[in-house]
Amino acid sequence: MKKFLNDPVNFVDEMLDGIYRAHPEVTYTAEDKRCMVTAKPKTGKVGIATGGGSGHLPLFLGYVGDGMLDGAAVGGVFQSPSSEQMYQVTKAIDQGAGVLYIYGNYSGDIINFDMAAELADLDGIQVKQCVGNDDVASSKVGEEHKRRGVAGIYFVYKAAGAAAAEGLSLDEVHRLAEKARLRTRTMGVALSSCVVPEIGHATFSIGEDEMEIGMGIHGEPGISRKKLGAADAVVDEMMERIFAEQDYKSGDEVAVLMNGLGGTPLEELYILFRRVAQLLEGRGVKAKHVWVGEFATSMEMAGASVSILHLDAELDRLVAAPANTPFFKHFSN
Amino acid sequence: MDAITASDLILLFGAWKQLFAEQREFLIALDGKVGDSDLGITMSKSFAAAAEAVEAEGEAAGIAKLLRTAGATMARTAPSTMGTLTATGFLRASKAVETAASLGTPEMAAFWAAYRDGIAERGKAKVGDKTIVDVLDPVARTLEEQAAAGVSLAPALAAAAAAAEDALEQTKTLVAQHGKAAAFQEKTVGLQDAGATVGALILRELSKFASAQ
Repeated sequence: MKKFLNDPVNFVDEMLDGIYRAHPEVTYTAEDKRCMVTAKPKTGKVGIATGGGSGHLPLFLGYVGDGMLDGAAVGGVFQSPSSEQMYQVTKAIDQGAGVLYIYGNYSGDIINFDMAAELADLDGIQVKQCVGNDDVASSKVGEEHKRRGVAGIYFVYKAAGAAAAEGLSLDEVHRLAEKARLRTRTMGVALSSCVVPEIGHATFSIGEDEMEIGMGIHGEPGISRKKLGAADAVVDEMMERIFAEQDYKSGDEVAVLMNGLGGTPLEELYILFRRVAQLLEGRGVKAKHVWVGEFATSMEMAGASVSILHLDAELDRLVAAPANTPFFKHFSN
Repeated sequence: MDAITASDLILLFGAWKQLFAEQREFLIALDGKVGDSDLGITMSKSFAAAAEAVEAEGEAAGIAKLLRTAGATMARTAPSTMGTLTATGFLRASKAVETAASLGTPEMAAFWAAYRDGIAERGKAKVGDKTIVDVLDPVARTLEEQAAAGVSLAPALAAAAAAAEDALEQTKTLVAQHGKAAAFQEKTVGLQDAGATVGALILRELSKFASAQ
């Protein structure tokens, strides 16, 4: 392991300390640095909270800011935050219009967010939930409820965040978040392992010349492990799975998130995106909004994921809306 | 006793706190066989915090409010899943006895049915999955029968505690489906479930409490 660390035990807290020093537009509540909230709350707006384990920056906390989220509960590396932390974030960001939780489909996160929602309910705060499950590789069609949430949650944040910024009600923000969730699919491929600082060695081993299609963002097993092929062939295999689940007509529009998992250069992401764009073009589908970069990582894992959101008029409007967070800035045309 | 009042409930949480302080090492060892050994710590911490919170709140708050305080306190202090589940049980029980001035057999039946349902829902567990639900289900059903038969509280709880002990013994025959133990699958056969043990201990103490007063 070669990492910039002091004591590995302090990995998350030192990271957070750095973030608060760098970005005064975010702060924390309940005297707990792991309860991040925006420093610029908007009166009367539906609050949006997320949460999950550390090790995925910019996910999750990186999207707290204007036009996106209002708070994030921060767990240890790949560990769920506590229900108490989620509850504290909920209390801090509620403006009287209710709070929407958006997080990934992992059992620890679910149980804790459910508990936090119950505690918030006792305080009279209305909470709704949207649980991301965009990872096509993690279960078959018909068992989508077993699918993991990965990079595609970005589109749910974007749509819900813009809807809340427009002043829509909790029911409406929830409906739009659900719509974005149901119309998003992601496929990933890993080339190397991640290393959890407190463990100090690779989570899994993979041959120098191998790739694993469909691996999860914590190193969960994927669909197949095989010899790494040409970039175009890798994209073809990933996109085939996404196309199988999205029903496009010629002229339809999509948003694309070409995401690096932490250890893959931007240059390679653009080589991958080139092929994604070619395949969409071949189907007469327009890639209307495109983001290429690191949006949801797995420490230093080399690899990439592609997420496709099948747009309609209202999702188009929301995805295009401006956003300004410490880790993500988007300017409206 | 025929019914547990608000002031009794504060004493009962004190008794549960004492119980889990005593059982801490036993639960750590039991959980360590197929889990991560934190159950004894979770239970002793969360019941201690709940007991202190209800004592601070005082009997004037009434049964439902005290249960709600206990559940909310546990949820905040519990460092693991089992603590969150136990907390859920008390929060749901609080709602089930919202208007009760004291807990007789019918109220106790409603209490444990809600407790069981809350844990089953939150933990997504069903009967037979080798969890605390395997103990709570016969407890709730026994109390419903006792309530229907008009049995008073102390003997009703004695029957429920006996059902809990039997059910706990039965968990030895089951294969774990949840939590870290699920990874051990067949190796969990022959072991009593740690969470179910917590359920049986809670009932044993409750029955003892109702019989002694």
